[in-house]
Amino acid sequence: MSTAQIPIHRAVMDDSLRKATATRAWLAERRLKMFNFIGSPGAGKTALLEALADALAGRLKFAVIEGDCATARDAERVAARGISAIQIVTGEGCHLPAAAVHQALADLPDGMECILVENVGNLVCPAAFDIGETAKIAVLSVTEGEDKPLKYPGLFRKAGAIVLSKTDLLPHLRFNLDTCRQAIRQINSAAPLFELSAKTGAGLPALADWLAQQKS
Amino acid sequence: MHEISICQSLVSVVLDELTQRAIGPGRLQRVRVVAGQLHQLVPDALTFAYELLTRDTPAAGSQLEVRTPPLEAQCRSCGWRGAIEPPVFLCEACGAGVDIKGGDELFVEELELAD
Repeated sequence: MSTAQIPIHRAVMDDSLRKATATRAWLAERRLKMFNFIGSPGAGKTALLEALADALAGRLKFAVIEGDCATARDAERVAARGISAIQIVTGEGCHLPAAAVHQALADLPDGMECILVENVGNLVCPAAFDIGETAKIAVLSVTEGEDKPLKYPGLFRKAGAIVLSKTDLLPHLRFNLDTCRQAIRQINSAAPLFELSAKTGAGLPALADWLAQQKS
Repeated sequence: MHEISICQSLVSVVLDELTQRAIGPGRLQRVRVVAGQLHQLVPDALTFAYELLTRDTPAAGSQLEVRTPPLEAQCRSCGWRGAIEPPVFLCEACGAGVDIKGGDELFVEELELAD
């Protein structure tokens, strides 16, 4: 049987990248910036957003887009802090698709300067999908172990900033902070590292400053 | 583990190309994909997902062929260029950070059709 070859050369993520590009243009028109928080379930992403509600109060008006497989609990938690929150329920989906984020933009209140997106808890899939964000922020908690950056380099490589959360727990853990810092630097030597506790507020101002300073 | 979600995008590109080119069911024999090492896609998991996701579509029965170009990096400091082995993204010569120059591709290269 004879065959014919048809050259295609089309990005696998074609549709997704188109949506991400449309979101970027939408954000640029409104001079908005958007940060995509990615980390494991239980890394403290929602607690971090709750803490940022206070840390950024009066400095940066932000709304939140929450992605979860089920329930609107995270959006409710953030809304309880007086922050506008939109929940995207992904069902079986392991990441927030660019199209869902783009659609959610229409529901954002006016007068915002920034959008903080909490992606579905997962260290792998959300890192593979561009949603049009200004930067990805990797969130790793000290209870997950210092070797996680080396095990999941994809996310840490792409992150524009890295958060090491729950540092208030360090005295109770066998967590080697230097090993973790070194692992992160091997993968991403450029991204700033914020070691913080959303519970005590230690280290939080540095992240708040960084978020406020980023250009839209 | 992200092979299925990425394969969903891949299959939608393939089906869209078949529709646009008016290629009927059963003619597509092979899809050649380039997935650079940076994406850490397991070829077996990708082909398994492809078989599953193309079932009952005009691409059913076609084979997925995955090519994985290695990671290539260039040092931001001394200009060294060469292959690196993830997860370490540092210059072999001087230890500084590197930029990725190859191995980050992810695209459908070619469709092979039966005449």
